[in-house]
Amino acid sequence: MIELVNVKKVFNAGNPSEFSALNSVSLHIAENQVTVLKGPSGSGKTTLLSIVGCMSRPSAGRVKLNGREITSLPERFLTDIRRKTFGFIFQQPNLIKGISVLDNVMLPAYPLGEKRSQLKMKAMKGLSELNIANKAASKVEWLSGGEAQRASIVRALINDPHIIIADEPTAHLDTKLSYRFMEIIEKFKSEGKTVIITSHDPLVYESAMVDCVVNLRNGQIEDERA
Amino acid sequence: MILHPTIIANLLAAYIASGMVLYALFYGVQILRYWDIQSGHELQLVLERKTYLISTLLSYVFGLQLLSLFLFIFTADSLAPLFVGAMCAVGTLNVDGFGYPTLVLKIFNFILAGLWLILNYADNQGYDYPLIKKKYGLLAFVAPLIILEMILESAYFLNMEADVITSCCGSLFSSERVTGIGSEIASLPVRPMMWVFYSAMSCTLINGFFFYLKGKGGYLYAALSLLIFFIALVSIVSFISLYIYELPTHHCPFCIIMEDYNYIGYLLYILLFAAVVSGIGSGVLIPFREVESLQLMLGAFIRKLALASVILYAVFTALVTYEIVSSSLVIAYEVVY
Repeated sequence: MIELVNVKKVFNAGNPSEFSALNSVSLHIAENQVTVLKGPSGSGKTTLLSIVGCMSRPSAGRVKLNGREITSLPERFLTDIRRKTFGFIFQQPNLIKGISVLDNVMLPAYPLGEKRSQLKMKAMKGLSELNIANKAASKVEWLSGGEAQRASIVRALINDPHIIIADEPTAHLDTKLSYRFMEIIEKFKSEGKTVIITSHDPLVYESAMVDCVVNLRNGQIEDERA
Repeated sequence: MILHPTIIANLLAAYIASGMVLYALFYGVQILRYWDIQSGHELQLVLERKTYLISTLLSYVFGLQLLSLFLFIFTADSLAPLFVGAMCAVGTLNVDGFGYPTLVLKIFNFILAGLWLILNYADNQGYDYPLIKKKYGLLAFVAPLIILEMILESAYFLNMEADVITSCCGSLFSSERVTGIGSEIASLPVRPMMWVFYSAMSCTLINGFFFYLKGKGGYLYAALSLLIFFIALVSIVSFISLYIYELPTHHCPFCIIMEDYNYIGYLLYILLFAAVVSGIGSGVLIPFREVESLQLMLGAFIRKLALASVILYAVFTALVTYEIVSSSLVIAYEVVY
């Protein structure tokens, strides 16, 4: 489903501060599976994830999504793919303060022009599934860490993406909430979604539901186990 | 050189355009030589990122190029009081040997710049840069002409001397003179020229409308729009100007841009130039209709260009007809002076 061919990413190329975050990474990420990118800090997990999710471009190499090469796409085509194909769950919930949970959840769907009433129904359904429907009208500042995380998950799903990308999702969660998060991931898998997670949390990469663990070190794939 | 704000503006526009075109050409040549969309090589990815910068830059440069033609004509017109004998832009353009070559090159570059903008717009609609080599190939052709234009324009303005006695439009565009292209055009018989203009314009508009409706005859329309452009320019000198000035002997194509004639010349020329660019542009894009990534949009865009061109030519013709009909000048017989 997702194929990376000799992907390199160099930051500050040509400067004294040049840093090579990824070195010739080739990887195949299968459809309808949970793949974990694991490795120590600075190993290139987040960089790789941002390239897979079309949030940044590689310095060299290509990425193919369902056989279609996407790294060369002009920005507006890439935006379209990013919007419709990927749902992002970040380390921090990154919710926008000052507006309600419901508005935060609906925000990524606004550019698609869906009717507000339908959108609201969809958002409320998502919030209900993760048991935070009662917080829909609350401002995000009032949410607990777990509630904020769940709100960000509903936001990631609002455009019904095929691929969920989560960057260190359990980094700020306690054990109980981390288990709860993994249950949600299992649900995504059962719905046929592809999930890619970066994590160095054993609770994530040792989970039974994980299909593939890719171990990264110094910007290269050290090993890959199914 | 005469220090005048419009001259400084013209020269600055020329130097900025030339500098930016040279910068763009540097990467354009690399794109022409090394572009390979199948490759994941570092250079290819750098070129993919650079092409955004270059095409955005060139969009502004060529936009400036379009405006600079009218700025140049405006400058030539506004400087006329500084030269003995000059009554309008004609005299100013004649103060040294570089005025008219600059104008001709500016007109040519205007059309090329317009075509580049059309090609760039079409290329940006595809996901795989379908026209990138054509676009930068055209840039490689246009860039030396923009540089040449800058050199000619600099020579023209820098060689200007205020004590030069120059010729007025009455002398250059007069049917009495026996030599010179201006006089030869001015000497063309009015009524046959009117027939030629209206017949050719009718054919062009009918063909353009047919192309818009049926999608056939695009190349013919592009050729006709170029032909009618020249016929219209000749017609302005030959008979349209006579009706605007309401004088049977005044054929100047530049006095019509003056305040005395409500700046109607600017409107006529803008319509004409926009029409020819969109007309030729529609023809230039026809071979790329079958390109996979453009199939969905290019046909509609070509038709829109053709329609825009037809409307612009129709408005031009309507305006000319209005000027003729509302003019006090009546040419009941062939005027021979």
